[in-house]
Amino acid sequence: MNSLAQRFSTTSPLAHFRKIQRLADEDEDVSDAAWGSQAGFGSLTKGVPTFTVPNLPDPTAFLRLHTDDHADPNCRIKIQHGTTTLAFRFQGGVIVAVDSRATAGSYVASGTVKKVIEINPYLLGTMAGGAADCQYWETYLGIHCRLHELRNRERISVSAASKYLSNLVYGYKGMGLSMGTMICGWDKTGPTIFYVDSDGTRLKGDLFSVGSGSTFAYGVLDQGYRWDLTDEEAQELGRRSIYAAGHRDAFSGNTCNLYHVKEDGWRFIGNFDISKMHYEGPGDVPGAPGGGYGYALRVEGKSSANPPVAEAAA
Amino acid sequence: MPDMNSLAHPQQHQFNPYTENGGTILAIAGEDFTVIAGDTRQSEGYSIQTRYAPKVFRLTDKAVLAVNGFAADGNMFVKKVRQRLEWYRHAHAKDMPLRAIARLIQTMLYARRFFPFYVYNILGGIEEDGSGAVYSFDPVGSYEREACRAAGAAQSLVQPFLDNQIYFKNQTPAQDTSHPVHLPLHSVLALVIDSFTGATERHIEVGDGLEMYVVLARGNPALQSLQDLPGAEEVTGTQAEERVFVIRRDLKKD
Amino acid sequence: MDHFPTNWGRPRNDLSDAYGTFPLAQRPYNGGKDMFAEGVKHTQQPIVTGTSVLAIKYKDGIMMAADNLASYGSLARFKSIQRLHPVGKYTVIGAGGDMSDFQYIQSILDDTIIEEFAASDGHTLGPVEIHEYLSQIMYARRSKIDPLWNSLIVGGVKDGKRFLAYVDLLGTTYSASTIATGYGAFIAQPLLRKAVEGNENTLTEDAAMAILEESMRVLYYRDARSLDKYQLAKITADGITVSESRHLQTSWSFAEGIRGYGAQTQ
Repeated sequence: MNSLAQRFSTTSPLAHFRKIQRLADEDEDVSDAAWGSQAGFGSLTKGVPTFTVPNLPDPTAFLRLHTDDHADPNCRIKIQHGTTTLAFRFQGGVIVAVDSRATAGSYVASGTVKKVIEINPYLLGTMAGGAADCQYWETYLGIHCRLHELRNRERISVSAASKYLSNLVYGYKGMGLSMGTMICGWDKTGPTIFYVDSDGTRLKGDLFSVGSGSTFAYGVLDQGYRWDLTDEEAQELGRRSIYAAGHRDAFSGNTCNLYHVKEDGWRFIGNFDISKMHYEGPGDVPGAPGGGYGYALRVEGKSSANPPVAEAAA
Repeated sequence: MPDMNSLAHPQQHQFNPYTENGGTILAIAGEDFTVIAGDTRQSEGYSIQTRYAPKVFRLTDKAVLAVNGFAADGNMFVKKVRQRLEWYRHAHAKDMPLRAIARLIQTMLYARRFFPFYVYNILGGIEEDGSGAVYSFDPVGSYEREACRAAGAAQSLVQPFLDNQIYFKNQTPAQDTSHPVHLPLHSVLALVIDSFTGATERHIEVGDGLEMYVVLARGNPALQSLQDLPGAEEVTGTQAEERVFVIRRDLKKD
Repeated sequence: MDHFPTNWGRPRNDLSDAYGTFPLAQRPYNGGKDMFAEGVKHTQQPIVTGTSVLAIKYKDGIMMAADNLASYGSLARFKSIQRLHPVGKYTVIGAGGDMSDFQYIQSILDDTIIEEFAASDGHTLGPVEIHEYLSQIMYARRSKIDPLWNSLIVGGVKDGKRFLAYVDLLGTTYSASTIATGYGAFIAQPLLRKAVEGNENTLTEDAAMAILEESMRVLYYRDARSLDKYQLAKITADGITVSESRHLQTSWSFAEGIRGYGAQTQ
């Protein structure tokens, strides 16, 4: 690419960021951040977030060089990643279920991550991809949803909120953000799910799963999904799908967080340990089948490792 | 030693603005106290640069920050956080609460999303409700409140030990007993010392000295025992509701 | 974007623009080379370089040593360059790395000292302040990806306090009772630590001078970018003295017996 032309271009996103940065640098002395009253969003005092970009011909390549542990496992800055998330719509509202594992390279950085971000009492966002990207931008989205309420005297629609987010991340396209999220909620139109990713893709749909464990989750989800699921059945399906992903995908696991969105807002159903679900089941909760999800129970006395009693006798 | 491979070829200098300075940090939250610790060795490659370079810093009387990774970024980051906390004090005439400091650190780290600080942060202290808290961050600002966290060179040695001893992972309680939810200060200090002596044995970048900051909540009964502890130094600021102490220990220098 | 599930959450690697969308920061370019594109670039490499600097704490203050060579690649280009530079009345900085960047640093610091003098407000800059200032400059330049390619040692004595610290092109800083840069960090540092650690308050001036001379000699034997001509700087409560150039006595007769060291006859 013609890097000289790009360097002096005034329309590229990079030029845009540099301009904002320059403006921010110029009046740093009188920055409002000094008053510490920006709700912590110090970098947003100019109305638009300001980000430091390395002074290089290709900042994106720089970021990849230092943070892409997939291409180079020896890279130093290992950003935490999230993995299996799912959400689906049914007659009783929206079910949101996620795992809780964060990996940095092959290291399990945390097993207690909150991958459902509570934007407000009626809106949930899920986290797959860069943990910081999701946390930061969905918190930022929360600010703007509240501002929308104050300006318009009514709650923001799921559609508008998700469009706000997708427009935001599209502005950074190609800069290295990585997030795949589902914005879930209940508005005037009823239960709604929008899938938004860092490409700028925004899709309305009934059923999504995102992350490295999504294929496993889809498998269970697709065979059990019906519109007229009862609340208990739906919750169990979400739980069971995350269990399947946690069981088969190395980058997913630890625990499952389950949420149910209804007309009066979301409700946290519970936190379920995935290995406990394997051996003992989710415990005494509505929709639970009783007993573990693991197939060891189903094949008891029938596999070669654990032969039927009659065969053993013979 | 210099990389012989690069000497063999005509050199193309691509400036790398980062390096790795070793060391390990660790924090454990108790019911009404928090311990934040770090070793004091600073190294680059196989060279020990110094045996005493602090990685743990008192921010306020109820917040202590430990930084690990690239030392220059770490020191600069602590400096910037302290500046923001001072501004907050000037504007609000009080110290910033711990959870607010945690969110501040997130936004400060994320502002460098495209040119990250190569720093792993662990923030420890006392919340407004008087409970001990630990917040851990990745280099671009994703964070989480936890009961314990190790980061840095020996995190993969120390964290599993902590999982076992603090969270009682893979331990089954004896019949009719249960694991304690919170450990007392003296057992936590013992675990921290064991973690670092262990890491010093098995990791070349860990050693020389250990600095443990203890933040006590208001009216903590452990105060007296800490004041009597030889080698414990009080570093509380002026307000003195919460109390902050440093305990220093030697680690092996080889 | 790479939508393959296992690649979720990785930094994007958009080498192809599958949907023909704008804007993407990087796309494969197959056209001709733009000769001007390389024009504005400042990530350089060191050109004329100095090698190790050594410094130790001793009873009366700080002592520092650096040879007089500025190399141009493997060419011993300038053989009477001074790499120990007094700043104000209490501080000396010693530099390895790019000599032109070092000269720039000297000029900044000299200007600062003049400014401080002109303020005549009763404050003077000691080694602590100069090291802090220098660290900020070095870190700011690395953050602009336009580093000053040096390893610097700042040493001094003020108000009865000795100070010895390091800063380099990345802005990395530390303080210790013995510091060595460049090859010195590998070859001289162990010798210095053995002699100094724990003896900082008893080591005499003569002993300090002897250990530095011995370390410079060992370095001269093994560092191909070093010279047998060096200077010593001494900073005590009485002030700064930078010595005249000194010559290292060396003996090379042993080399004959070592294969791969001297000229071989067979």
